[in-house]
Amino acid sequence: MSGTAAGTELFERRFVISGVGQSAIGRDLNQSGFQLTIDAILAAVADAGLTLDDIDGLAMFPGGGAANLPGYANGNLYEVQDALRLSPRWRQGSVEGMVLPFFGPALAVAAGLARHAVIWRTVKEGSAAHKAGGRPAYGATKPAADGPLAWLLPVGMLSPVCQVAPYMTRYMHEFGVTREQLAWIPVTQRAHAALNPDAVYSKPLTVEDYLNARMISTPMCLYDCDVPCDGATAIVVSAVETAPDLRSPVRIEAAAGLVEGRPSWDQWEDMGRVGYGAARAMWARTDLRPGDVDVAQLYDGFTIECVWWLEALGFCGPGEAGAFVEGGQRIGLTGQLPLNTWGGQLSGGRLHAGFGHVAEAVRQLRGEAGARQVAGAEVAAVGNVGGFEAGAALLTRW
Amino acid sequence: MSRHVDATVGIPPGVTEETAAFWAAAADGRLVVERCAACGAESFPPRGICRACRGRGMAHVEITGIGRVYSYTVNYQRWLPDLEVPYAIVLVEFDDHPGVRVTGRLRGCPPQEATIGMTVQVGFEPGPGGFAIPSFVAVR
Repeated sequence: MSGTAAGTELFERRFVISGVGQSAIGRDLNQSGFQLTIDAILAAVADAGLTLDDIDGLAMFPGGGAANLPGYANGNLYEVQDALRLSPRWRQGSVEGMVLPFFGPALAVAAGLARHAVIWRTVKEGSAAHKAGGRPAYGATKPAADGPLAWLLPVGMLSPVCQVAPYMTRYMHEFGVTREQLAWIPVTQRAHAALNPDAVYSKPLTVEDYLNARMISTPMCLYDCDVPCDGATAIVVSAVETAPDLRSPVRIEAAAGLVEGRPSWDQWEDMGRVGYGAARAMWARTDLRPGDVDVAQLYDGFTIECVWWLEALGFCGPGEAGAFVEGGQRIGLTGQLPLNTWGGQLSGGRLHAGFGHVAEAVRQLRGEAGARQVAGAEVAAVGNVGGFEAGAALLTRW
Repeated sequence: MSRHVDATVGIPPGVTEETAAFWAAAADGRLVVERCAACGAESFPPRGICRACRGRGMAHVEITGIGRVYSYTVNYQRWLPDLEVPYAIVLVEFDDHPGVRVTGRLRGCPPQEATIGMTVQVGFEPGPGGFAIPSFVAVR
């Protein structure tokens, strides 16, 4: 066995991703968050080839206490358990340390605490933004700013957009990368979204559109920011020995979430370099190399987060992402690294926390991605968020 | 001189036992961080423990003089009703205070003139909830 500490077995070998399911996805859906959640869970369990009676682990991200934005719509874990008449042996509403959507359930399954665990993330941020007349301030659901946000919200860093924008400022400054180059990330992903019937935005986007778009928080314009939406994603994680009973499991080659750096957006020491620790930790668990990756689903809450992963995972060198994405060929569906083939959060919708990215990686590896299928996709890279909330994984065909 | 952008619309800080001294000093226009009695390292935000040696004997030290902008953004989006925009937010470090980075607004120049490496002076201005918030002043 490669890449492991002496005497240990990779926990990745003890579980598979067995099912992914999504509710309807849109900007302003006329369904409650609870119903979207139920839709996604039922779809994911059926997708796995299982029934609800098989589910004995239950988790959601984030937990019930974390609702810093209107439109966090997971529902209540107990109510979901009750509505579906489940008898979980393990459950978790995790708040901090998301690293990868399936990490917590995978640990429970790998430890034998559950055989089939489902985790979900439900957002109604699209309708919440619509009701508020615009994307609302982060933390606006609470009367005062707690924890690290106490140093950000009061001075006017009222959104993750403002909190992450200085990273893009610093990155462009250090490496001389331009907005004209980085525009190709949202532009190319929009072209992918046109082939995804569930994407929120599918109208063609050009570099000119990008450069003419209004600034939100410099240097990030409207199209550098993901699109708030309504929708739920559920993922089922199963014990590896159940694979023969599953419809189409996906194998996890390597997964790592490293909790590194100062856990506050403004205190990260080196804003030009983000995610390297998680990427290193992941590559240490596999003999595969960046050149083996057929398709990449890299977190894109903002354009710059994709840049972090492209460089940290070694698809290009530090400061080279601008040249790598320029023109869009390399990251297109027939390029060397097809990127966010569902449109990503920038066009597909902000399903949040890597849930949409994992769902798409699974579809691509199964050959179930329809018009946007990458031919012969056998290895998919997933990156979630970045910096102090960073997780990376390689998923492979069963 | 640039137009003054009001900073009082927003979300106030939740004050804890660890951060009360910072906000009290801010009300007097003074920027204080924690300094370790054992090793002399400075820590921010204040947590009552040294980030360098984990010593628990922390005193407050005032930062005066010139800071340098590590990075910045100019916010144009009206995240809350009545929020005045645009304004620049700067992440400021201090040559004589390694390990300390403080985020605040920028005054004294149009927000579009913010640059990495520009020098600023410590300052405060009225912020949300009656708190004085860090508001650095561009050095001409």
